[in-house]
Amino acid sequence: MIARHLRAATAIAALVVLSACATIKPVPAGPYASGGNQITVGRTWTDMGPLFGASRGVRLLSIDGPQLNRLFVIDGLKAGEFILRPASKERPTPTWKAGLTPTEQVEFLADTLAAMQYHRIETDNLRPVKVGERSGVRFDISAQTVDGLNISGIAQLVEAQDRLYVLLYLAPAEHYFEATRAEVEAIMASARVTG
Amino acid sequence: MKRHPTLRAAITSVLAASVAVSTVSPAFAQRTVGQRPDITTDEGGLWAQSDKAEMEAKTKAELNRDPELTLYVREVACRVAAEYCSDIRVYVMDRPYFNASMASNGYMEVWSGLMLRARSESELAFVLGHEVSHFSHGHSLATWRTMKSRSNVGMVLMLAGGGIVGSLLYLGVMSTVFAFSREQETEADRLSFERTVKAGYDPAAAAALWLSLREETAASDFPKTRASDTRGSIFNTHPITPDRIAALEALAAGRAAPSEGERARYRAQIRKFLPAWLVDDLRRRDYGQTLHLIDRLAADGEDLGVLEFYRGEAFRRRRLDGDQDKALEAYASASGRPDAPVAVWRELGDMLGKSGKPMEARAAWETYLAKAIDAEDRWLVEASLKKLNEGSES
Repeated sequence: MIARHLRAATAIAALVVLSACATIKPVPAGPYASGGNQITVGRTWTDMGPLFGASRGVRLLSIDGPQLNRLFVIDGLKAGEFILRPASKERPTPTWKAGLTPTEQVEFLADTLAAMQYHRIETDNLRPVKVGERSGVRFDISAQTVDGLNISGIAQLVEAQDRLYVLLYLAPAEHYFEATRAEVEAIMASARVTG
Repeated sequence: MKRHPTLRAAITSVLAASVAVSTVSPAFAQRTVGQRPDITTDEGGLWAQSDKAEMEAKTKAELNRDPELTLYVREVACRVAAEYCSDIRVYVMDRPYFNASMASNGYMEVWSGLMLRARSESELAFVLGHEVSHFSHGHSLATWRTMKSRSNVGMVLMLAGGGIVGSLLYLGVMSTVFAFSREQETEADRLSFERTVKAGYDPAAAAALWLSLREETAASDFPKTRASDTRGSIFNTHPITPDRIAALEALAAGRAAPSEGERARYRAQIRKFLPAWLVDDLRRRDYGQTLHLIDRLAADGEDLGVLEFYRGEAFRRRRLDGDQDKALEAYASASGRPDAPVAVWRELGDMLGKSGKPMEARAAWETYLAKAIDAEDRWLVEASLKKLNEGSES
C-alpha cells in the first residue's frame, strides 16, 4: 500500500517538478500552441517540456519556475483521456467524457486537482466565456498544497467537437497570483481552439 | 507482468534478512506514563522522528482544524486510555482512507476515512484503543529496530547491486516502517477489546467494524482490490482475517450491549463533516466501496437527504448502464428529505432533462433557483430553463 502511495507521490512530484531531461525552452511574447489549443502570451514564458505522469497534450509554462507559477495548456482531451496519468488501475484519475454539463466540467477539473494532491479545493465565480466562436466557462480556484501553502488559480474550459481544451493557471496566493493575473487573463482572452 | 529474476532474487534475500531480524526483536515492557527516552538511544531517535512528523502535521492542508472534533476524538482516546491521556495529542486528518496511527511520542493521527466508517463511538474507541495498545506495548520501537536493520540490509544491497534494482529494494524495505507483526496486531486487538469494554463501550463493536471493512473490500469496483486482503490501516501489513474477527466475537459473546442512542451521539459529532468527507471518498473513484459506505451510513435512517444525494452523485459519476436511473431515483429520494442539499434540485433537473422529462426538469430547476438565491451557477440553470422553454414553444 505504501509502495502504491510512493508511486503516486512520485508521479505527482514529477508532474510538479518536471523531468530533468525535459526540453525546457523559452516562449517569447506572441502566439503559442499545444495542439489545437492556441494562446498569445504577452511576455516571455518558459515551456517546461513534456510532463512525466501527464497526458501527451499537457504543456506547462512558467515565468518564475513551476513552484511559483504554472500555466497548463492542455490540448483537446478525447473521451476517456485524463490530464494526470493514474498510478495504478485501482487509483484512477478523472477522465474526460464528452457532453458533460458545465458543472460537471468544473467537477472534472477540481477532481483532477485533487488527484494532483491539491487540497481544500474550492471553485468560485463560474462565468461564461467566448473563445472565438465557441462557448466555454471560466472560474476561479483556491486550494492548498499538501504542506498548506495557499494557492489561487483560474481555469478556462472549452468543449469543441467532443474534446475538452483547458487553460489552467495556479500560483501561490501570496504575491505571485496577483502579480501575474492580468497577463494570465489576457492569455485566456486570447485563446482560440482550432481542433 | 514477469518480475525480473535479479529483482526477485534480491527481494527474496532482503525478505529473508528481514525475517531473520524480526525474529530476534526483543520483547518490550509496558511503557510508563510520561516517559521520555534519552536522545542518545535508538528510542530517542524514534522520538525525534516522531516529533518531526508531528511538527509537519501541524501545517498540513489535510489537518482538520475543527477544535470540537479534535477535542471529541481526544476525549474518546482518553476514555479508553485514561492513564496515558496526558501523553496523547490527537490530529484529525481529512484523508479518505481508513487509518489511525500513534507514534512513540504520543502523536496520534486519526483519518477522516476512519471517522466516516465507524458507525458508533464504540467502533472509533476500539481503533483508538488498538493504536494505544501498540503505543503502550512499545510495538513502534520494535518495528523501528526491525526497520533500521532492514534498511541497513537494503542499503548494503543497493550499494552492492546499485542501479534501479537497489533503489527499488531500498524503497520497498522502507515501506515497512509502519508495519506491525501479526502477533502485535492480534495483541493490540485483544488489549483494545479489554480497554474499550472496561470503558463501557459495546463489546460487539470491534468485530462489527472489522467485518464491515471486509465487506467494503468485497464491494470494490476493482477485481484486484476485491481479491486483496482487508487492512485495518494503510500501514497495516497483516490482514483482517476471519480468525481475527472470530477471536473478537468470542471475546464479546455474552457481554452486555451499550446504552441506547450511542450511534446517534456519534453521528451528531461527525454530521457536519459528512458532505466534505463523502466528496473526498467519491474522489477515490471506487464507487462500489463508496456505495457500500453510504448504505452503512444510511442504515440507521439518519441524514438521508445528504446520503441519498451522495448516492446519486456516486451513480452519476460512475456512469454504468442503468446508473442514470439509479441516480435519478436517489436524487428524487433526497429531494423529499428536509436535510437535502440544495444541489439536489439542480442535479435532478439535469438528470430529468437528459431522461426526456422536460416538465419535471423545469419544476426541479425552478425549485433550485428558488432555494439557491445566491448560487453562482444561476445563469447556467436559467439558460437551461430558457432552452427548455424555447424548445416547448417551437
